[in-house]
Amino acid sequence: MIRRNFLKSAALVAGLASAGAVAAQDESYTIGVAIPSATHGFMGGLNFHAREAIERLEATYPQLEFVLATSGDAGKMVNDVEDMVATRNIDALVVLPFESEPLTAPVQAVKEQGIWVTVVDRGLSVPGIEDLYVAGDNPGFGREAGEYFVEQLGEGDDIVVLRGIPTTLDNERVEAFEKAIEGSGINVLDMQHGNWNRDDAFNVMQDFLSKYDKIDAVWASDDDMAIGVLEAIAQAGRDKEMWVVGGAGMKEIIKRIMDGDPQLPINVTYPPAQIATAIELTALAMVSDTPVTGRFIIGSQRVTPENAKDFYFPESPF
Amino acid sequence: MAANKRQTPAMAGSIPVASGREPPTVLEAVEISRRFGPVQVLHGVPFSLRAGEVHALIGENGAGKSTLMKILAGFLSPSGGRLELESEPVEFNGHQSAEDAGILMIHQEFNLAMQLSAAENIFLGRERRRGIFLDHRAMLEEARSLLARLNCHVDPRTRIQDMSVPNRQMVEIARALGRRAKVLIMDEPTAVLTNRETEILLEQIDRLRSEGTAVLFTSHKLDEVQHIADRVTVLRDGHHILTRAAEGFGENAMAEAMVGRELSDLFPQKPTPQPDVVLEARDVSVPGLVEGASFRLKRGEVLGFSGLVGAGRTELMEAIAGLRAATGTLEVNGKSVPFGSVQAARKAGLAYLTEDRKEKGLLLGKGLRENLTLLALERFGRLKIDRVAEERALDQAIEEFDIRAKDRTVAVGSLSGGNQQKLLLAKTMLADPQIVIIDEPTRGIDIGTKQQIYDFIAELARSGKSVIVISSELPEVIGLADRIVVMGRGHIAGELTGSQISEDAILRLAMGVAEDQKETA
Amino acid sequence: MTETTATPNPVRERKVNLHVLGPVLALVALILLGAFLNSNFLSYGNVTNVLARSAFIGIIAVGMTFVITAGGIDLSVGSMAAFVAGVMILAMNALIPVLGIGVPLVLAGMAVALVTGLAAGLLNGFLISKVGIEAFIVTLGSMGIYRSLTTWLADGGTLSLDYAARSFYRPVYYDGLLGISWPILVFALVAILGELTMRHTPFGRYCAALGANEQVARYSAVKVDRIRMGTYVLLGMLVGLATIMYVPRLGSASGSTGVLWELEAIAAVIIGGTVLKGGSGRVWGTVTGVLILSLIDNILNLASIVSPYLNGAIQGVIVILAVVLQRGRKSAD
Repeated sequence: MIRRNFLKSAALVAGLASAGAVAAQDESYTIGVAIPSATHGFMGGLNFHAREAIERLEATYPQLEFVLATSGDAGKMVNDVEDMVATRNIDALVVLPFESEPLTAPVQAVKEQGIWVTVVDRGLSVPGIEDLYVAGDNPGFGREAGEYFVEQLGEGDDIVVLRGIPTTLDNERVEAFEKAIEGSGINVLDMQHGNWNRDDAFNVMQDFLSKYDKIDAVWASDDDMAIGVLEAIAQAGRDKEMWVVGGAGMKEIIKRIMDGDPQLPINVTYPPAQIATAIELTALAMVSDTPVTGRFIIGSQRVTPENAKDFYFPESPF
Repeated sequence: MAANKRQTPAMAGSIPVASGREPPTVLEAVEISRRFGPVQVLHGVPFSLRAGEVHALIGENGAGKSTLMKILAGFLSPSGGRLELESEPVEFNGHQSAEDAGILMIHQEFNLAMQLSAAENIFLGRERRRGIFLDHRAMLEEARSLLARLNCHVDPRTRIQDMSVPNRQMVEIARALGRRAKVLIMDEPTAVLTNRETEILLEQIDRLRSEGTAVLFTSHKLDEVQHIADRVTVLRDGHHILTRAAEGFGENAMAEAMVGRELSDLFPQKPTPQPDVVLEARDVSVPGLVEGASFRLKRGEVLGFSGLVGAGRTELMEAIAGLRAATGTLEVNGKSVPFGSVQAARKAGLAYLTEDRKEKGLLLGKGLRENLTLLALERFGRLKIDRVAEERALDQAIEEFDIRAKDRTVAVGSLSGGNQQKLLLAKTMLADPQIVIIDEPTRGIDIGTKQQIYDFIAELARSGKSVIVISSELPEVIGLADRIVVMGRGHIAGELTGSQISEDAILRLAMGVAEDQKETA
Repeated sequence: MTETTATPNPVRERKVNLHVLGPVLALVALILLGAFLNSNFLSYGNVTNVLARSAFIGIIAVGMTFVITAGGIDLSVGSMAAFVAGVMILAMNALIPVLGIGVPLVLAGMAVALVTGLAAGLLNGFLISKVGIEAFIVTLGSMGIYRSLTTWLADGGTLSLDYAARSFYRPVYYDGLLGISWPILVFALVAILGELTMRHTPFGRYCAALGANEQVARYSAVKVDRIRMGTYVLLGMLVGLATIMYVPRLGSASGSTGVLWELEAIAAVIIGGTVLKGGSGRVWGTVTGVLILSLIDNILNLASIVSPYLNGAIQGVIVILAVVLQRGRKSAD
């Protein structure tokens, strides 16, 4: 129900409903869902959407049963996946790999047993294992932000960048961002890891502010980090000097964009609801003959004061 | 026992290399000196060990015995002089190289891994292997036979921490036996042993001697020295006083050589108790250890507690002092005192001096001051500790108990046993107890300090306090106490007063041999 | 504590003072390095930032010094801080209709934080000293419990303090007295009281005795259980106090609040010269340790001389070096 407009999934769900009605009485299916536990805002949102999608689908399709496992690390996730196959006899697996490498072999083993595999967000390190790949657009996430910086700033303007936890995902975003601002003359003063954490971002930004007398804009690359960054800027009393672009569409940030906060001109989405899409599509693959294999990339969109109300979901935890 | 002694020369003579001549010197210290910073603890001391002899090293605490032994065993290097091994100059690079040369030392504080089994300890560092695996069965068998040689019948799979102190000692010795030591250095091996165990140990030493091992042996028990040693060396204040044959060197002569003056009678005059009872224990039981113990203590009395190690003496007294859960009743000055609360016992005026001063009595890593005031810390301020008052208390304690430390900031662990014991006494007395229970008051302490402690105990009783002395050394209880309670197997076996007291009577009670049985036997 | 040296010769004594000064020298070296690398390093703003940032870990680390000195350990403080912050935010949000926005609300929030911290510490202390479970295991367990309770309270997201309440409460982090911000003042006060308690009160002495040898403490009529429990309760309350300073900063708490604080606090304590296995604790040392840890971060951010990927490695090296330098004395014996 939330941010489903990223994918035109309403139609899919409608199709699924009719197909489901046909198959409903014949057979029952078990779908395993393995995702990282809710350790920070984005994953919290993701967990919320996964639960919400499962509840909704279970209500609609009595023949579907779901097993949800949340794991704090890659090893635990492997165990969870193995347990699902061994004890719950799953027909399909929806997995958001905690890390690509350690999950590749176990997921491949699942696939070899003839189980449907949907991979979400982070790809496995060997291509072609999964039946279905659903992901946000990491390069698009960086590019979209970068393009906005190029539109707003020019030759000789100075910015700082806060990066996430050092991962492939973070690298893809930052590389796309750098590529987008290439040749614009925008000067990246510094990049440090804020680890998608408010406190860390606060500390890093405080230090950036001590270090640089002139900063025109900040790419915080995540809304949790944006909160820490804004607080550090407010403390230094330099709120008039620079604006901040976060990312992922946290409701508090979207609200401020909606209200036209000059410090937060735009945001770039990276939808936690992608997990709901993945679960829905997997369910559809189980109960109908609709072809759903392939790759579904959910584009990152720019949120502006004008369209922000379409992205504002006050009841979501994220 | 005396027979052993007389045999010795003949046995030594039976060693092939020594026939007709003096046995060869295995290890010799030539004019060894050692200083720790500015403090010189050994002044050019000569010492030699011959194959197949027991050479006793005696002296008061602080005389330099331990330092000399550690130098011989490679734990310390000398600051002057040299070592010769089989007439070749040698320098040990740590005790491991000394061990490789066949020189082993058994420390007073054991060098055993508490979590490992006896067998594992015996073979620590030179495990038997089969291929890449440990050969557990061979090690177990060998450990068992080594322990059996020592008449010690513990299961070699027992962990050290679950063993009694004497058995740990036996494991240490078995470890040395297993390594076929040429030279065995034993730092007060009998301090923690009962008479029976001591006898077994001395038999083993005798056997090692007959096999050609050179044994260096220290003990504060001069009768043992007299009994086992071939030669005796006396050290005093880091100086070599004399080396001579043990034969004809009497205990008194030894003591006087050690102390450097004539010793009057070791024990002070016994104080006379007053008639009123200050402590009455009725039917005290500690589950599994003590059963139904009852006794009384009078004001101004020194009451002795004797019995074999493991008879439940320590456990009973720990219960009285609130350190163990127990059942029964305890009254001090007519008021009931609950078990299991050290605080309640303290409030009633009871204080217990542990036999285990290193593990239970003192914080070895801390200084004198912190140790002295720990028990009575509330006297130095409830909110803020009055450090000046603490220092004053320490001054007084050093004066009153004659505690000798090089510096009052040193860690207590570096003090000699005697000074530690005096500090422990001072600490206990600072709490101003009315009833003092002293467990093994002179374990591992030299004769001069012993005498000071005996005087102090008598003085304490004379001043109207009451003292219970637990001791495994029969002469000690007999010399100090006017009344002796004997325990055996968790029960109070009997009580002896005045002229009834004799070593024989105590032992009979302790072992549960009744008078009449003995006569008919 | 110079008293703990093994042998008393004067040469050793001088070295010991060096050992006490070791962390301080390291701190001075870091300050010089920072000043050399960036001219803004010693600016009022940066110094205030670093000190205020250190305050949370610092306040907690002072409590941790007592726990470690008494031979314990507490791995749960980071999670506990997140949990206390979460409970405090929920309580304050819920109390707004009753108390309105104002001093009573903030005081109520503070009381909730202290009580929650106390209760959490009491639980740890009870399980460790009365039930007799290893401190490592108890606090490892409660670490997971508090962390997931926080996530659960936040429904996987972030708990945020009501905006108006936060604006009112905000000065507790950002303002101060005579140009020194409140967290710094509170941290300084806690450090001074901690030092006095450690060195000059029976409680501090008993903690050291207990950590040095529990048997000796017991035989010396020290109320071992009560002292041990006391250290955990004290730590819990200090976590509550740290949270009081933390919440106004960002006005939020989530499952990722206070991650790894426990390790930073423990590292600060050990860098400061407290012995990990207990028996001797130095609160001043802990303060130095906390500042060293914060400065490393600050300097790495200000200087950008190495790849940010290596920040963790540099911290690790400095932590180990600080401890090696301190212990060098012992192995030299």
